[in-house]
Amino acid sequence: MYKKIYYIVLMSTSLLFSNENSGYGWDVPNSSLNIGGYLDITYDEKREDKFLFNDIAMLFSASENRFDLLGEVELSHISLDGKSNNSSDIDLNLERLQLSYALSDEQTLQIGRFNSDIGYWNQSPIPILQETTTTPHIVGNFFPKATTGVLFRQNINEENSFSLTLQENKDIGHQDNSIEINRHWGMAYYGTKEDFSWRFSTGRYKERNELRVDYMGIGLEYDGELLSLQSELFTQQSDTTEDKPYSGYVQSTWHFKENHDAVVRFESYRDNVNEIKEQIYLLGYVYRPNSNMALKSEYIYHSKLPLNRLVYSLSVLF
Amino acid sequence: MVKVYTLLLFFILNLHSTELVVVGDKNFPETNLTHSEIRAIFLDKKRFIKNEKILVMNHKVNHPLRLCFEKNILEKTERSLERYWRKAYYQGKRPPKIVSSLKMLFLYLNSVHPAIGYSDFNSTLHQEVVILYRVECGF
Repeated sequence: MYKKIYYIVLMSTSLLFSNENSGYGWDVPNSSLNIGGYLDITYDEKREDKFLFNDIAMLFSASENRFDLLGEVELSHISLDGKSNNSSDIDLNLERLQLSYALSDEQTLQIGRFNSDIGYWNQSPIPILQETTTTPHIVGNFFPKATTGVLFRQNINEENSFSLTLQENKDIGHQDNSIEINRHWGMAYYGTKEDFSWRFSTGRYKERNELRVDYMGIGLEYDGELLSLQSELFTQQSDTTEDKPYSGYVQSTWHFKENHDAVVRFESYRDNVNEIKEQIYLLGYVYRPNSNMALKSEYIYHSKLPLNRLVYSLSVLF
Repeated sequence: MVKVYTLLLFFILNLHSTELVVVGDKNFPETNLTHSEIRAIFLDKKRFIKNEKILVMNHKVNHPLRLCFEKNILEKTERSLERYWRKAYYQGKRPPKIVSSLKMLFLYLNSVHPAIGYSDFNSTLHQEVVILYRVECGF
């Protein structure tokens, strides 16, 4: 009962936060602290619990001189009967807790748990920030989504930067459908030029079961007035012969009318671990009544796996 | 309402020949900034200059100077900026502080160092500010 009231209050208040662009969250008076959050409600006809509160999360950030703090705490996969991840206990996960320190105008050092600086999708992995509710195959399959460790970032100039990541310890959060690691090193390069940007990432991680894996990926993005394109291609090799030779996607978003977008995504991957080689096609529609809300519907077609389905979602950033 | 639109239209038409200037406080550590440096500062990609944190100021949404700035300096559409700040917020970045008037902009520029904002050239004539970049507003 209390949970239902909590949802209703949260949803109603979240709709009140539609300020001018980027005016998200609430600035705590007389401090640099900002508190906000996001929620996603999804309907997936292939899932056991078709209707789910996928994520209800709180975001907080603060900045003081050279220090920046950023945190994200999430309650995930809550079904209508109030269970979280099929358990009646509340499953609260620390998605991110990172402290950054600006060493100079161009260099930043970051410690804590953060989204691994790999690829495009992983930098903004929540549905409100994406054009589709479902994620490409590379997410959760080719690299660790989160790293608990240290990240060093160097801005070469205003348009180019690189980062180095190091983890030599256990994860402080729990991974969600992803790779569980206790060691990770990685490097990434990011460049931009007008409406184009590109990324290169490579690294090695060690899973809890001691398996060592190398990954490498490239990405390209174009963000135009009428059309946006995003594409990523990853490859992975492990100590064993069971590799994942490739997984890639091309996603195009056509901004055909103000607040209305059409999305097409084509994916192809080969997974020798699970002995699957298939293509995935996605056709979707996004309606954003304002900057902090998105209503999406999409149809996903798999060439091999029996996962063809319709997915709907409502996401709010507040 | 008609009066408001007429005034806005008049202001926009007036801006057609307006020179927009990016201004810093009188002790701003640089006397010249490149186009990409200004873009980076206003998109919260560059936050320090000569090891000092910059106070960045923007005008309200739909302010004619802001429309000119977004088109000619940031070179981004409203949709693109909306998308950018949505993602940036998730990554802990914050947009520039909004000032409600040019008077308020100059008040901040006089009292905070280093601080940066933008104005039309004529309004800066009797102000103690450093002009860092100039651009013609073309609508």
